[in-house]
Amino acid sequence: MKMHDVAIHEDAALQIHEVLMHFLGESGAVDALLIDRSGQLLARGGPDRALDTVSLSALAAGAFSSTAAMARLLGEPEFTMLFHEGIRENIHVTAVDEHAILLATFDERTTVGMVRLFAKDASRAIGAVLAGSRQRPHRIDELAGPLTIAPGQPMFRERSA
Amino acid sequence: MSIINYANKEISFKIVYYGAGVVGKTANLQYIHRCLPNENRGNLISLATGDERTLFFDFLPVSALSVKNFTAKFQLYTVPGQVYYNMTRKLVLRGVDGIVFVADSQWDRQHDNVESFRNLCENLGEYDYNLDETPYVIQYNKRDLPNAAPVPYLEFLLNRRARRVPVFEAVAVDGTGVFDTLNTVSRMVLLSGFAQEQGARHENA
Repeated sequence: MKMHDVAIHEDAALQIHEVLMHFLGESGAVDALLIDRSGQLLARGGPDRALDTVSLSALAAGAFSSTAAMARLLGEPEFTMLFHEGIRENIHVTAVDEHAILLATFDERTTVGMVRLFAKDASRAIGAVLAGSRQRPHRIDELAGPLTIAPGQPMFRERSA
Repeated sequence: MSIINYANKEISFKIVYYGAGVVGKTANLQYIHRCLPNENRGNLISLATGDERTLFFDFLPVSALSVKNFTAKFQLYTVPGQVYYNMTRKLVLRGVDGIVFVADSQWDRQHDNVESFRNLCENLGEYDYNLDETPYVIQYNKRDLPNAAPVPYLEFLLNRRARRVPVFEAVAVDGTGVFDTLNTVSRMVLLSGFAQEQGARHENA
């Protein structure tokens, strides 16, 4: 099976965070989310505000993959950018590499052109960090050894009525 | 495809509830959402048509026990069951770590179950995934209905590959079998992921 497990080590997480913060500073965007194309959030930059980033990541990955499927129907390999315009806030999504996408939220303080311009630079920088991460062992330190879960120990418990 | 984040101390996995239309995939997620403690679940997102049929997917993020100081998180997805939504079914399977195949127990739905199972194998193949190497379980849903086929017959139709997988009898709308299914598949996914890293892939159910 061709699985591509992803491991974000602490130093890589730091590098990605720096790239995301630099991107936000240059572009004027509000939030930056690095998302695996399977729908899982890899990293986040931006203010500490109430934003359901987990749901946003799943929906953005779904939207991006469906536009990729539309592109292929037109003979294009992929649409590399997705833009949703709202009344107050907008969303810009761009491809980082074949496994990840970069989502930015922004408002009237900047333009889609600025976000697009700096998202390209950020994507390149993050793509290089992720490529380096894929070459490293995924399970280190406390995760290096085998895993045991006690027989009968439930992963989830129902809330008592 | 697991994601390990050493900075946040999280391990994340993706589980997809697969099956034909109206077999109870969404009902599974709705019950889990209703009955998990708030601190263990996020929002349930449903991308549905006007008549409550899943259009793209349902999505529910949940968190389980901690493993070696890492929080195990699972993202639960459903697929649209109708035949003509195959393109979106395929998209949802991207990066899947584990599968719950939900089958309708009623006699007149067996053709749909078998066709959906065949479709699952085909769609996994598009990503070069292989069902024989993917943790999965089968849930026989709607066991409360009077025209439910006997379990041995369902086993004959859906669970006769070289690797027999765990099966669960369920009534998803009232929660029967829902958590047994979730607990088993999530445990299989977690243990399977670590076994692969050790180079010793084996059945853990």
